[in-house]
Amino acid sequence: MRLGEADDARFDRSMRIEWLDLESVFRSRVLMIGAGALGNEVAKDLALSGFRNITVVDMDHVVGSNLNRCVFFDEEDVKARRAKAEAVCRGFRRLSPESRANAVVSRIEECGEAPFKENDIVLGCLDSINARVHVNSHSYHSGKPYIDGGMQGFIGKVMLSLPPDGACLQCGMNRTHSKVAETRFSCTGEDVVFHEPRVPAEITTTSVISAIMVREALKLVSGRRDMVLSNATYYDGQRNVCEEIAIDLNPECPVHAIR
Amino acid sequence: MAVRIKVKNAETGATVEMELEQENTVDEVIESAATFWSKDMGAYVLRKGKKVLRGGTSLKDAGVMPEDVLELIPDPEGG
Repeated sequence: MRLGEADDARFDRSMRIEWLDLESVFRSRVLMIGAGALGNEVAKDLALSGFRNITVVDMDHVVGSNLNRCVFFDEEDVKARRAKAEAVCRGFRRLSPESRANAVVSRIEECGEAPFKENDIVLGCLDSINARVHVNSHSYHSGKPYIDGGMQGFIGKVMLSLPPDGACLQCGMNRTHSKVAETRFSCTGEDVVFHEPRVPAEITTTSVISAIMVREALKLVSGRRDMVLSNATYYDGQRNVCEEIAIDLNPECPVHAIR
Repeated sequence: MAVRIKVKNAETGATVEMELEQENTVDEVIESAATFWSKDMGAYVLRKGKKVLRGGTSLKDAGVMPEDVLELIPDPEGG
C-alpha cells in the first residue's frame, strides 16, 4: 500500500460502507423526474454517491427565483432560458465526469413507457399530484422501485413503492389529493395555477428530503431491501424530527386493481 | 352511534373536538378539520398513531374509537 493511497481514490470513503455495493451503484440506471429544487439536490447526491447513468425529465426552464435553492443553476442559465433538465445534467457530468446524463425536456406524461422500462429505479422530484400519480402507476407496472419526495416549506415526505409488494403512493391518497390533482405546487413554470403564500421548497428541507431519497436508492441498488423505509417518512423541519408512518395497501387503489 | 374524538393540527399543535357518527368517513373528517382551521387548499392525511387512515373508509372500519386523538398532517407535494 502506498502512503496516502486512500486519499487519492475517489470512492475510498464509500467503499468503507459495508452494505454498499458500489459496483451496482456505478451500473444502475436512474430515472429522475423533475429538475427543480429537489431534483437539483437529488442529482448532486446521486452523482457524489457514485451513480453514473441518469435520465432527467423536466419540461421547465431556469428562472431567477430558482437560484436560491438549485445548486446546478446560475445567472447564465436564466439569461439563456436553459432547460432545467439540461442544466442538471451538465452539473451531474461536472461532478461525475465518467457519467452518462441524458436530459429529456418534456412532460413525463409525454414520454411513454420507455423511460420506465429502460431504467432500474425511479426518483420523483415532482410538484403536482397528477404527475406523481402517472409516475407511480408507470413505475409500479414496470416493476421498478419508486422513491417519491415532496416538500411544503419545512415539512417533507419520502415514500417508497416497491412493486410487487406493499402499498404504492396512490394508496395513501384521499379526496383532498383529488381536489388539487391538477395543481402544480411550484412557483415557476407557465402552467402554475397555485400562487399563494405557502412555501413550496426551502433549501434546508430540500437537502434533508433529497438525502433520504438517495440513501434509500443506495440501499435498493445494493440489494438491501431489508434496510429501506417500510413505507413513508415525514420530516418536520421546525422540530427537526422524522417519523415513519405506515400506509397500507388499498385494495381499491386503481394501481393495484389493474394488476 | 356517535363518537367524540379529537383532531390535532400537526402544524400548530391545536386540537378540535369533533362529534361524529361511526359511518362518517375519514375524508369527511379531513375536510371538516381543514375547513375549521382555514387550511390552504392542498392535500392532507389523517393519521392514528403510526398509521395513515384511508380516505373513503368509515370511522368504524378505520378502527376509530371514542376519545381517540387523530392528527391532520399536510401531505407535502412540492418539489
